[in-house]
Amino acid sequence: MDRRRFLRSLLSATTTAVIGASALRSLPAFAGDAAQFAAARDQHPWLTGWRSVTTETLGPATVPLQGRLPQGLAGTLYRNGPAWTERDGFRYDHWFDGDGMVHGWRFNGDGTLTHRARMVATPKFTREQKAGRFLYPAAGTVVPDVQPVRNNDDANAANTSVIRINGRLFALCEAGSAFELDPDDLTTLGPTTWRADLATVPFSAHPLVDRDGTVWNFGSLSLLGGTGLLIWMIGADGQLRSASVVDTPFMGYLHAFAMTDTHLVFMLMPFDYKEDGGAFFERLRFAPDRACRIAVVPKAAPDTAQWFEAAFTAAYHFGDAFQRNGRIVMRTVRHDNIDEARSPMREAMAGDAAHAVNSNASLRELHLDLRTGKAHWEDTGIQGIEFPLFDTRSAGNRGARLYAPAMQGETTAPYFNAVAGYDVARGRREIHRYGRDILAEEHVFVPRPGSRNADDGWLVGTLLDAANQRSGIAVLDAQRIDEGPVAQAWLPYAVPLGFHGTFAARG
Amino acid sequence: MIRTALFCLPFAALLLATSASAGDLQIDLQGIRTHTGTVRLALVDSAAGWDGKAAPVQGQTLVPVADAAHVVFRNLPADDYAVLVTHDENDNGKLDTNVVGIPVEGYGFSNNPQVQRKPTFDEARVQVPANGASITIALR
Repeated sequence: MDRRRFLRSLLSATTTAVIGASALRSLPAFAGDAAQFAAARDQHPWLTGWRSVTTETLGPATVPLQGRLPQGLAGTLYRNGPAWTERDGFRYDHWFDGDGMVHGWRFNGDGTLTHRARMVATPKFTREQKAGRFLYPAAGTVVPDVQPVRNNDDANAANTSVIRINGRLFALCEAGSAFELDPDDLTTLGPTTWRADLATVPFSAHPLVDRDGTVWNFGSLSLLGGTGLLIWMIGADGQLRSASVVDTPFMGYLHAFAMTDTHLVFMLMPFDYKEDGGAFFERLRFAPDRACRIAVVPKAAPDTAQWFEAAFTAAYHFGDAFQRNGRIVMRTVRHDNIDEARSPMREAMAGDAAHAVNSNASLRELHLDLRTGKAHWEDTGIQGIEFPLFDTRSAGNRGARLYAPAMQGETTAPYFNAVAGYDVARGRREIHRYGRDILAEEHVFVPRPGSRNADDGWLVGTLLDAANQRSGIAVLDAQRIDEGPVAQAWLPYAVPLGFHGTFAARG
Repeated sequence: MIRTALFCLPFAALLLATSASAGDLQIDLQGIRTHTGTVRLALVDSAAGWDGKAAPVQGQTLVPVADAAHVVFRNLPADDYAVLVTHDENDNGKLDTNVVGIPVEGYGFSNNPQVQRKPTFDEARVQVPANGASITIALR
């Protein structure tokens, strides 16, 4: 790491610590009321997707699989999501605030599936559990009588995603450390310090895994009040290879990134930070009149970047990126309404079923010409998409097929009720609609063992059946999505909707 | 000897009474997260002292054995003071921070200011009148 440059970037940075800034003032709380939400959920059973859990564990529950599990599919789908959203009658009003609960959905290989889930025992969760109320700053809700934190990890909700590295399991959240969990019983082993001087430096919720198992990730130093991106390179053995800093031209927001075989691509969204108090996402004002800046970072020299500018786009998630003829194309999920993007499913969190909407998102491609340094957007015409994933074995010089939850036909919840596969270049979509009362989450692509063909494998995704108040899991053949699940299982209970997962194949 | 001791007792009681009520700053430390290393307290009476430009009025150290501890700074002239507490959990002689400068070991300030930075002397200021004061400092 170029330490001098790193320090210089810090010196030039704003001195406000973003994470803790919400602790500076105690505003009246406008957060949701737990009783109000409960009453609304009685009327609108789909709101169960945003209901708080009240126990530190769920399950284990072993249930029969319907259908037939494909031969070769064995292992566990791990998922994470905000789950503990209420304490002492106070309810968070931002979906990103709930403390993380990690789920393991294990295919036992004998026609059954076992689900278990456990709250991540972060310092925040552990102390709040003891106190019986929320104590620490949240990303999107002003918490009354908030307590000062030692550092960002005191406010870490560990609630966004999970990754397995060399058999180890980590719960991830973008503003702090990865928390390591026991992959079997999901108990928390503690925050991960990859190197002593990098303690608590953010390790984002969207690491990407290279073909050789190398894990790339970033940590946004703007979340600590500085500027710059820390770029993590972790070997397939789980050891830190390098931590590099790329200076950034402004305090931009990013949630995820994409990569090609040779480059990492980071898109920074410009924002203004309102100084009149409130939680991070309340104060964050995207600045659509200013351009996004995009850093293209060579994997071979991760402390350098070629910078691009492109018209503002609000995005949390990206699909694949590929490189051809001196040009990188990055698939981007654009949120059309930037206010909704600041607080997705806000009305659902508040129990306001009548006004709840699923932020409309469309798929765009960002074209980055490495020779001219110019960038531009191209629309794909694909609407109603979020949480896209793809087969990482896909060729690096053309677009991958994308898999994502979708919306189709009549639905009781303003949420995804289907899963689709997209051939973006050909403009083709294959879709399976689960039904009117089903809420569909991210579907992870699982490659067929022994096969080298891209897209030869299955989609494994979780569901909430609002009518029957139960959660479930479905397995589809990735090349026959429209035929529906080949195997499916339902739990005797419902769990809150989450965000991201990873499939750990059993060897 | 016995006579002397008895004779001295009222004085001893007087001394105790003086040190317990006049000019002592009683501090309840809370939230000591690990029972390792050394907790250090620095008492200052000015912004210069707070900013490290003048020596502290008094300093104390303790070896933590519980989540809470009690510390007394004795015989202080009535004045405004501020207390900085650091918990050197691994006993390497400093408050460890990460590469960005964010502390990874425990610390706290008198008045428990609700700020995510080092507070100013004014924010950490506590009054110690002639008959002493009692405060609580929550380590974070």
